[in-house]
Amino acid sequence: MGSGRLSLVVGLAVAALLLAATGSGEAELRHAGKFEVQKANTVGVLFLGRERGYRIALSMPNERIAIFYAIRAEKAEGSDGLSFSYSAYVARNLGNLGHGVVRARFGSMGRVSLRFRPGGLVRKRDPQPGCEGAAETTEYGRFAGHLSFHGEGNYFHVSSAGGRAALDHEPRLRCEKGQAEEPSPRSLRRYVTPVPLSADDESIALLYAFTHSHGRYIGITAAHPEGSPPGAVVQLAVVEPRRGMVIGHGVYLEGPPGTLLTSQPGAHPATATLAPPAPFYGKASYSEESRAWTGNLGISSAGLNLPLIGPDFRVHLCVVNPLRDRDGCEFFTREPPPDERPASLGRALR
Amino acid sequence: MRMRWAVAALALIALLCVPGGAGAKAGHGGPPAEQWIDVALEGSNGYAIHISVNPRRHLILQVSKEGFSAEYMTRDLLAEADRIKARLLGLGTISVRFHPHGPVRHPLLPGCGRKKRPAVQPGVVRGTIRFVGEREYTQVKVGEAEAAIEEPTGWLCRYGVRFEPKPRQRDWVSKFSTVGVGTYLLARKYRPGVFEDGQVIFLAETGEAFDRDSDRPPLTIFRHISVPAPVSTFRDAHPEHLILAPPPPFSGTGTLARTPESVFTWEGDLSVQFPGLDPIPLAGPGFGPEYCLRGSGCVRQDVDG
Repeated sequence: MGSGRLSLVVGLAVAALLLAATGSGEAELRHAGKFEVQKANTVGVLFLGRERGYRIALSMPNERIAIFYAIRAEKAEGSDGLSFSYSAYVARNLGNLGHGVVRARFGSMGRVSLRFRPGGLVRKRDPQPGCEGAAETTEYGRFAGHLSFHGEGNYFHVSSAGGRAALDHEPRLRCEKGQAEEPSPRSLRRYVTPVPLSADDESIALLYAFTHSHGRYIGITAAHPEGSPPGAVVQLAVVEPRRGMVIGHGVYLEGPPGTLLTSQPGAHPATATLAPPAPFYGKASYSEESRAWTGNLGISSAGLNLPLIGPDFRVHLCVVNPLRDRDGCEFFTREPPPDERPASLGRALR
Repeated sequence: MRMRWAVAALALIALLCVPGGAGAKAGHGGPPAEQWIDVALEGSNGYAIHISVNPRRHLILQVSKEGFSAEYMTRDLLAEADRIKARLLGLGTISVRFHPHGPVRHPLLPGCGRKKRPAVQPGVVRGTIRFVGEREYTQVKVGEAEAAIEEPTGWLCRYGVRFEPKPRQRDWVSKFSTVGVGTYLLARKYRPGVFEDGQVIFLAETGEAFDRDSDRPPLTIFRHISVPAPVSTFRDAHPEHLILAPPPPFSGTGTLARTPESVFTWEGDLSVQFPGLDPIPLAGPGFGPEYCLRGSGCVRQDVDG
């Protein structure tokens, strides 16, 4: 995996931020026969540059929400693969984004009080296919006012609102049924909760360990896609509420050989060992016989320092033969609750 | 695979040179773009040798015996339809002229119908034909040989080429293939009774290409071996584990196994020996395996590089 792919994923991450910034916001679908209504919305984004390897941005996916993002991509330790980590801090926007105002408190981590200053450049875009209405208008400019935020342990700190910004005004649209954007969630938690991997038809070995206690969700997956070289894709998601805000942390990395070892398909008791590289440390073992998730696995990363082992963890292990199980690994017979979903990188940012 | 495709592409280019029109009579007076020359020879050690030159002046010298064949492909240095002049990079030279003998014939070929009959002018070539296979596995040196100039009506209706029937594609039940640098191995297990002499066919191919330089024309050598074998040589009762132990000219065994990393490895001492060459390994880290079960799909493993 070369630097080209690294750049690609960084680009995708930025694109994900932009998607979050230009999402449907508070669109609410009103089904009326063959048509539905996508409500008007305003979204905004402020790029705050890079600090200690993290790209920082403030995103307003709709008028009610403000999210600080910190995203970092680098080469994974011990392999040619990629390592990608992100943090998202979500709070309510108490300002009127329609008028360019953002006011939000992120507990002890920071606050913003900003007003958008248009720079003069305006772009208009026709409604998406299947919808009709006025053009969407994007104003480019800057935010002025107060902004201060620091990550846990001060792993990044921003105190200036300087940076490129954009405000996107999406008018009310009349859309063919199924063409309107999905409405944004009301719960803060949903903005950092990963979407499910309930049907993974590429992995022939998949391990999922998770725990959910005191409102905090920790989920880690390790997957080996069919035909790929030795190694495994490891994803971690941590979601926890704080007073007035919700914090989400995620890690994606392409681990080297030895990251995930399992028993053969059909073997009982099924066993697995997970030993991902940094920012993880240690390793964990699972046995179907005892249902125990043991070892010293943990993660030590900026903003995230915690063990990933313990009796509270529940574990799913799936090892299939692709000639017998063409659908690959599937943990869930129905969609799991949002907090019990394995981590998935891109959608987590939306 | 890359080498195999390169060789296949060369063969295809050669085959595509066959014209569609059948207006001209076969013989040395016809337009050169319409005709093939075929020369049949007997090499030493029981090998049959067949030389053919297509209308684009690509020359193929094919050596065959039982399930083995080797094709040495180069360019005919002359443009005339009734003459051949070629050098085979240290393996021999060909410099002959065609002399017709007897009337033009229109043989009926299997599957080609009466309207697709080619025009074949029998005769002899005279001059020099000298070929010595690698490490002298076969050789021939003659001043005259039976030959024909043929005007085919389609690329499948060539009198000078024998298309041998193969077991039908739909009759295999499982198969394994692997590709290394310049080598290819295919093993197919068939339903019982599809063909005689066993239930499995092992096929190995290898290709070498020597580029043209200022002193010599290009030469491509394509070797192929196909042998039937009993079902015991293809052991795949467990889809996570396969063992191939083909008969000579193969030797050793190859094993496909799933590791705790869920990677499918293809390892062992399996090799194939083509006449005149050292044994060529057919298993190891550089080989990307693919195993298929009819109706279930395939397992494929990528290899680095």
